[in-house]
Amino acid sequence: MRFGGVSPLFLSSPSAVTLRLIKVFADGSIWPSLLATANVAAWGAFLSIIVGVPVGVLMGRSALVRDTLEPFIMGMSSAPIVAFLPLLIIWLGIGPTSKIALVFIGSVFVMIVNTETGVRQIDYRLIETARSFTATEFDILIKIVAPAALPFMIAGVRLAIARVLIMVVVAEFYAATVGIGYLIFQAGSQYDTTLVFVGVVILAGTGVIANAGLRALERRIAPWMHNVGGP
Amino acid sequence: MIEVRNITHRFQNTGRAALPVLDDVSMTVEPGTFVSLLGPSGCGKTTLLRIIDGLVQPTSGQIFVDGVEIRKPGLDRAMVFQEFNLLPWRTALNNIEFALELHGVSGVERRDRAHEALQRVGLEKFATYYPHQLSGGMKQRIGLARALSTNPRYLLMDEPFGALDPLVREIMQIDLLKLLDAEKRTIVFVTHSVDEAVFLSDRVIMFRANPGSILKTLDIDLPPRRFENDEEIKASSAFVGYRNMIWHLLKEQLRRPA
Repeated sequence: MRFGGVSPLFLSSPSAVTLRLIKVFADGSIWPSLLATANVAAWGAFLSIIVGVPVGVLMGRSALVRDTLEPFIMGMSSAPIVAFLPLLIIWLGIGPTSKIALVFIGSVFVMIVNTETGVRQIDYRLIETARSFTATEFDILIKIVAPAALPFMIAGVRLAIARVLIMVVVAEFYAATVGIGYLIFQAGSQYDTTLVFVGVVILAGTGVIANAGLRALERRIAPWMHNVGGP
Repeated sequence: MIEVRNITHRFQNTGRAALPVLDDVSMTVEPGTFVSLLGPSGCGKTTLLRIIDGLVQPTSGQIFVDGVEIRKPGLDRAMVFQEFNLLPWRTALNNIEFALELHGVSGVERRDRAHEALQRVGLEKFATYYPHQLSGGMKQRIGLARALSTNPRYLLMDEPFGALDPLVREIMQIDLLKLLDAEKRTIVFVTHSVDEAVFLSDRVIMFRANPGSILKTLDIDLPPRRFENDEEIKASSAFVGYRNMIWHLLKEQLRRPA
């Protein structure tokens, strides 16, 4: 497929991108970049879940914790997190650690806010029902709070994925020797428009697949709920 | 036996005077009897039931169950709630097991008891259904099965049929009496339906509102096994007499300016 009149220097063609995409997977040259990026994204997302969920649960269950943390979390979730990157590099170097840290900071607040929302929307009558049947606070956490908030947590992960991908690419633009972001940046500086698109397509594909998978999971575990976390 | 001794309760509102809900209520519920607490909305009957369950701590007064003062929910009492309060992420069967899990029943015994309870309320075919797939009447049958599965000595029912349509409600009343017929369970039943209270109860305790206190206690002397001839019973002069007497007393209360 070709469009007349546009120099391939500025805009590649879908067929060229498709061929190149097949080629980089076939000859294996994409794997080091993909694995490096996946490593950073996965660690960042994992850390933001294991920190975000408990903090969100605490904020949802305790007014004291909520009132204490809320201004900080509201501020951080609307701040341009990428501005922290130079600092993180000074503190943690240009290896994967500083990038994981950026991904973590960029996505943990979404996890916290979504988990908190999930915990706070729990029907109080269900907690009371559990109490009536002699539940302990631990029972309530495990048998009521966790399952009731789970769809919101998954929606949180879904929203966090978009931020994870942004953070990982920005971090790799700025300081990296490997990764999809680095590949895109390098290709751009060499006017290899096709390879830029290959990188973009891979990132977009990752986002779409992750989103679709999590949506399917949401529907599976919460068939009584529809669309808890927006699009 | 449940003994309610001088229960007074006030709702604390920040920035406003405490709202009195119950004022010096004392009563006893004899073992094996069906007692209804009847009164208008806001008479504190639901709050009293929650105090008996141990969910609410009264401002003053005591509750004794079989001679022991209670302060929190226990294994000897189980609630059936007006809004069913089933867990939406659990199937019918697992909702019943929920109560048994909390009571420390595990494994095969839990599964068997949950199945048995589901069978008793006639819903064994719906074991794997989720609450959102069931009608209101079915949900309340599961709520009832959940409570019965724990084999409580005292069944506390908080307007259990109040959210159901009138036809389903009558069927549920009949089925409840059938279900309880073979047992010597003690029931405290909150309702604001005069007919329901008379049809189901051995004793009706009427409440007045603002603040809630006992207006009158009335023993209902209708034949046992009322589910066998519910239509005759409801048309009988004894039933109509009780209903009119109660209605007359409540009407006087409701017309009085608060």
